[in-house]
Amino acid sequence: MNYKISDKAKKVTLGVAIVGLVLLVIGFFQQKEFVYANKIDDHSVEIKYNGHADQDAQNALKESITSKLTGYDIEIHDANHGHNEHATNDDSHGHHGPTFLWNIHFKHAENHSSLIGSHESGADILIDKVNNGEISFFDNGFRRFWSNLLVNGFFFFGIALGALFYLALHYATESGWGVVLLRIFEGIMSAMPIGIGVLLVVFLAGSFGAHHIYPWMDSDLLDPNSSHFDPIIYGKKAYLNLPFFWIRVVAYFTTFYLFLKWFKKKSKEQDEIGGTESHFKMYRRGALFLVFFAVFSSTMSWDFIMSIDTHWFSTLFGWYVFSGIWLSGMIMVMMITLYLRKGGFLPNVNESHIHDVGKWMFALSFLWSYLWFSQFMLIWYSNIPEEVIYFTERIENYKLLFFGTFIVNFFFPMVFFMSRDTKRSAGFLIVIGLIIFIGHWFDVFNMVMPGTLFDQWEIGLLEIGMFLMFLGVFVYTVLNAISKSPLLQKNHPFLEESKHHEY
Amino acid sequence: MADKVIFAMYDDDDKLMDGAKHLVANKVKVSDVYSPMPLHGIDSIIGVEPTRLAITAFMYGLTGTMLAIIGIRYMMIIDWPMNIGGKPNFSLKENMLSFVPIFFEFTVLCAAHGMAITYLIRNKTLPGMPPRNPDPRTTDDKFVMEIKTSDNAHVSEKDLSKLIKDTGFIEIEEKSIL
Repeated sequence: MNYKISDKAKKVTLGVAIVGLVLLVIGFFQQKEFVYANKIDDHSVEIKYNGHADQDAQNALKESITSKLTGYDIEIHDANHGHNEHATNDDSHGHHGPTFLWNIHFKHAENHSSLIGSHESGADILIDKVNNGEISFFDNGFRRFWSNLLVNGFFFFGIALGALFYLALHYATESGWGVVLLRIFEGIMSAMPIGIGVLLVVFLAGSFGAHHIYPWMDSDLLDPNSSHFDPIIYGKKAYLNLPFFWIRVVAYFTTFYLFLKWFKKKSKEQDEIGGTESHFKMYRRGALFLVFFAVFSSTMSWDFIMSIDTHWFSTLFGWYVFSGIWLSGMIMVMMITLYLRKGGFLPNVNESHIHDVGKWMFALSFLWSYLWFSQFMLIWYSNIPEEVIYFTERIENYKLLFFGTFIVNFFFPMVFFMSRDTKRSAGFLIVIGLIIFIGHWFDVFNMVMPGTLFDQWEIGLLEIGMFLMFLGVFVYTVLNAISKSPLLQKNHPFLEESKHHEY
Repeated sequence: MADKVIFAMYDDDDKLMDGAKHLVANKVKVSDVYSPMPLHGIDSIIGVEPTRLAITAFMYGLTGTMLAIIGIRYMMIIDWPMNIGGKPNFSLKENMLSFVPIFFEFTVLCAAHGMAITYLIRNKTLPGMPPRNPDPRTTDDKFVMEIKTSDNAHVSEKDLSKLIKDTGFIEIEEKSIL
């Protein structure tokens, strides 16, 4: 049966995308970067900033501090000066130290506050103004924008890749049950170019220094004569250097894309000529893809995500990212299947197929939780400083999000998908599926943000808007791709088995 | 009145399934089926209630988790606080994460053993118990259906034997139970 994307679906998906775009633009112009203030005592405050700020911006900030604290006699010292050695040692997460660190002294502050009758000292007032955003930067490095682009690009690239992976697995294992769903997998993986394009933009911008998401792209850190020289990153430069990185990026994307095209072409060909020849070709090519994927899924997650926290490494990271990718892909498959089934386009998909995809969602949630916890517990338990810094940052600044993501992504599927009936009920699958879908978006958020925005993250209009925009465009592309071919691979040799699939 | 049990034997699982469907359609209650391998779907045909083994598994698992928490709290926190890698050793809450694997293992241990033992007791197949299957050939390649007359008081004996005859058994045996 043919599916044609309906006007309503078009309107909804593109509408979501446009709403997202509007929110994104509003959020983009609203964003301020917060400067951090720590009280030393009533007379002195330490001002810290981690982002991207040139000398002019710093002077502007100094002026704004002086002008907003009229009546106080203040003095600004650069506390970073001459402490470069200290800064690099202290800073084991692989980034520059704070861009600047100032000590602000209030002269005769106590006299002053008693004069104007305030109970607050000048230091408290300054901290208040910093905390409520009155004294802040406009982000001229766009790091929040770039970080979000990376999060969404990777998340939606991962969904498409997860679908492609499962398709290849289905062929390589010569499975029969899912044949009636294969066109949906094909549709979802067809949206891969969105992710590829966005990621390429992010990497290109990084290579040309437009953002500092990947610290190892900064040549300053690799120059032994520079004051920012980082011996650990220097030691990794055989792998983490721009030419080799780009070779790998091109290799990943071309491999995935060519396999994707090839699978789609062959399955169309099979529709026309039938027989088993193209099936066996796909069987062999599926196995070949898995070989590539086994290596690329790991190295890809090191390159794209793990190298943000360049000093840190975890051998389990590739698996952990892969399980998240696969699960998000499966949730997307489930959502699209339920949508098309409700419209009556999938007469051959019965309860058992839904149940099986539900089982995958259930099982993969456990795989993900298992890997998440293994990575976390071993590092937390052994408490080696250079490793544990990764989790220290997350627990200190992202505590709710970090543990919340785990709890949601583990307990929701466990409790609600344990029973056979819930895995067959569209309502449960949609609600819990959407919750863990968003949970896994936050998982990617947790992987990226602590290394790029440190403690200055926010879930604002920018984040929500960009997610909605990507979601709308992604789903639109998927539905559009599904409309282009019949929903049934009518000459697949295992079609009959799939039609009669039970359990 | 003495209860009679009828054992009808089949040499093919499909024949047994079709026969059971035929009997149930005529309101005959089939009390049990003996088979050398699982017959998918037979439980819903003869109206066996869904197993409650999963519920017991949950309860055994919960018991295991509780026991593990209590045990570890006593052993590792109260009786002899162990300092491993400088982790906080004075409070269970702060040290909880390092015990998760133990909680998990003990939960699985209790759930699995509890389930297995419950299953054996419920089916009266504990080691050493007299066999319940009517014919040793049901562990080889034959299938037996068990019908109790007391369950089928609403069907006359004549109708019952005619209905059973229709199912195409290969052997039939009647036993009186006191």
